[in-house]
Amino acid sequence: MGEPVLPLHARKRITPYQIAQIVLGVGFLVFLGWRLYTVIVVEGAYGPDTWLKFAISGLIIGSVYALITIGYTLVYAILRMINFAHSEVFMVGAFAGFFVFEALKSIMVGDEPRIPFIDAQPLLSIVLAFLAGIAASTITGVALERLAYRPLRRAPRLVPLISAVGASIFLQNAAQLMFGPQRRTYYNLPSLDRNLGWTLEVAGKPVLITYTGVFTFVLAILLLVSLNLIVQRTRLGRAMRAVSEDKPTAALMGIDVDAVISRTFAISGVLAGSAGVMWGLHYGQIHSFVGFIPGIKAFTAAVLGGIGNIPGAMLGAMTLGLIESMGPGGLGMDFQLKDVIAFSILVLVLVFRPSGLLGEVLSQEKL
Amino acid sequence: MIRADLRQGVRSGLVLGVVVVSLLFLGATTTLSTLIGEGLGVSPPAGLVILLLLLTLWIGAQSARGAHHAELPILQAAIRGAVAGLSAGLIIGLTTYVLIAIHDTGADLRTYLFQVSPAALDLWSMERTPVTAALFHLGISTAGCLLGVAVYRLFRAARARWTLTGRLASARASLAQRTGGFKRNQWTNFALYVLVAAILFITPQRLNNYQNFTLGTVGIYVLMGLGLNIVVGLAGLLDLGYVVFFAVGAYTAALLTAPTPHNLMWNFWLVAPIGIILAAVIGVLLGIPVLRLRGDYLAIVTLGFGEIIRVLLKAESLAGFSNGPRGIPSIGQPSVFGQPFNSDRDFLYMIIVGVVIVIFLTFRLQESRVGRAWIAIREDETVARAMGINTLSAKLLAFGVGAAFAGLGGVLYASRSQFVGPDDFVLMVSINVLAVVIVGGMASVPGVIAGAFVLKGLPEILRELEAYRILAFGALLVVMMILRPEGIIPSRRRRLEMHETEASEEPSLAAAPAAEAGGAP
Repeated sequence: MGEPVLPLHARKRITPYQIAQIVLGVGFLVFLGWRLYTVIVVEGAYGPDTWLKFAISGLIIGSVYALITIGYTLVYAILRMINFAHSEVFMVGAFAGFFVFEALKSIMVGDEPRIPFIDAQPLLSIVLAFLAGIAASTITGVALERLAYRPLRRAPRLVPLISAVGASIFLQNAAQLMFGPQRRTYYNLPSLDRNLGWTLEVAGKPVLITYTGVFTFVLAILLLVSLNLIVQRTRLGRAMRAVSEDKPTAALMGIDVDAVISRTFAISGVLAGSAGVMWGLHYGQIHSFVGFIPGIKAFTAAVLGGIGNIPGAMLGAMTLGLIESMGPGGLGMDFQLKDVIAFSILVLVLVFRPSGLLGEVLSQEKL
Repeated sequence: MIRADLRQGVRSGLVLGVVVVSLLFLGATTTLSTLIGEGLGVSPPAGLVILLLLLTLWIGAQSARGAHHAELPILQAAIRGAVAGLSAGLIIGLTTYVLIAIHDTGADLRTYLFQVSPAALDLWSMERTPVTAALFHLGISTAGCLLGVAVYRLFRAARARWTLTGRLASARASLAQRTGGFKRNQWTNFALYVLVAAILFITPQRLNNYQNFTLGTVGIYVLMGLGLNIVVGLAGLLDLGYVVFFAVGAYTAALLTAPTPHNLMWNFWLVAPIGIILAAVIGVLLGIPVLRLRGDYLAIVTLGFGEIIRVLLKAESLAGFSNGPRGIPSIGQPSVFGQPFNSDRDFLYMIIVGVVIVIFLTFRLQESRVGRAWIAIREDETVARAMGINTLSAKLLAFGVGAAFAGLGGVLYASRSQFVGPDDFVLMVSINVLAVVIVGGMASVPGVIAGAFVLKGLPEILRELEAYRILAFGALLVVMMILRPEGIIPSRRRRLEMHETEASEEPSLAAAPAAEAGGAP
């Protein structure tokens, strides 16, 4: 019968976009290979102990990013909107923990010699700081949703996004005006000193693993696991997944959509608040713009892992943390440029694999 | 029923309490009471009382308002007002008590709450003891809220006639009626242009250097706003890294005309087009990888670009090329026929010429095939593609044109201030420009101009409120999005679009915009 008139599998035309993609990709890979080869093999700039140090700090920052990333991913999954002000929710939590520490430092307890509460009861103080951070962040998150996003639920897509940017600027500058422009240092608990830890011997050189680092990592993992349980096993989690699938149908099934959205913001707030206090405990310094960079990084991690996907968010955050701390060393770049690496990853992921490591493509216009 | 009233009252009270306490912590109470005091010729404490009364009146009136503008029984409204006032008063009073108590122990509150200075606290407490100050604030908020309820009841009937939209609509209608007999033709248009040109030419001559400088800044923001207007307003692509193109223009001018770091010292008139073209090229190049992304992704990637450029400009390792964090001084300035052309007034003329050209281009583009393609993409990309629009090239063009306008702004900015550094190109610049477009009115040229004057010009007049400028920006963005997403002077299409959902769902609210739209012929 000969050829069919319309071939079923017509040869795909290569678009200029794909050509650009290929050129960019090949160029990038060649550059990457060359730099890695020069730095690691030819120059041998760092020993195994240094690489281990990079990896450890990458895992720690990655676990903090993971907690923030979940906030972006949950909200995105449910509202299809980027909560720009989430980084400020994190910042508020960090400040709340700081103020609790300062208050406990000035309360004296016990018989003579009277010592500050924070030294007498370090564990209780930490718990109180976390509770305060979580409470402040949760309230901020829920209030944000109520005031800045809920009235815009049916508006065109750009509108809530701009509102979120506005809220973020407002909170940053409100914090700066209220608490002052200077950097604040978290109280360094003697029992959880930032500079102390276990020492490993690698290639004849010591590698320090700080207590706060391990604490941050373990607590973050615990929180992430419990979050996953909430989403997968509980009634609220089921409602959240239903709302993220299809809001009108979920409402018809008797789910109070507004309440679920509000609770999603609350859960994001809990995670961001604890991340804020962890940041303070481990890195020590906070200020009113402390959330900005971690916020963007966390968003990058969310995209990297596949936005709207919780295991993806964790994986993306850890990967980003590792790349960011090992990248400048591996590429022999200035450590000042580590933010450039993170943002370049964001762009590269969106160009080459918009679905992220795990997850479906949401970044491109479809439907 | 009483329960619902209590809940509503407590909710209003919470809002009031949080607002007042935030104002206190932000130091805004002191500034505002001083301003009110100066304005009315009374002392700051009296100004504070007036400020608090205004706030409580507003909340009282809000709490007395029933759902969907229904009339509440007077008792119910009074209960709501009283509960709101009491709960707000409790929050404010308690905060006051705690603050003064801590202050009296000799601790310096400013260590933690930067704005709560002893002077501010004295004003706030009216120099009373903790308990009386707390009671004073409890009393004033309760009284204010009850008063608010009463005022609301009294003026409720008159309100309908006094809403802003209603009055605007009637003003527009009467204006249209009055100018109805006036026909526009070629000659009247020509006369109008001559008149505008004369005003634009004469105004800078009459102003002093400072005024010219300020107007020049506003003009640069108009330039950038019009550029971003094409990207965000027409094509609907939210670009949060617009500062990149501004930086490209400025650094091109700086690197090519300054003695350091390259000592090229080219002529300004040669460099200006290079800067514009380079910005446009960078715009297209950055656009290629990201323009397939959805709006919110695009926003965050462009935000990333904005940060990358700042970090790169600041990096020590690239200081040989860009002078790093030290910035580039003594940037070349233009001259005309051998005469220096570099006073603030001369730059204002150049900026005005630039703005006029850009406005002309915008109008021509907006009505062209490309402009309609942009609007189609903004409305629905998939449908636009189905209609045969090459969305990718249309978007790239939008990015390129928008970037070119910003490049022009950057060149003029660098040459005018004679110095650029990485700190001139922070995220806030992008946000400012975005705010100009949004507040003024997306896709509306007069709107963008109005937005630039409101956001860049007003702060120059309200010097006392300088500290709150960025804060107010943020709040303004949120409030505009909720109350008037179409901006101050919206384009007609946008106005109808933004009220589309309301019109179909709440017939009571649809009356105002529909009347407005009908009023404009």
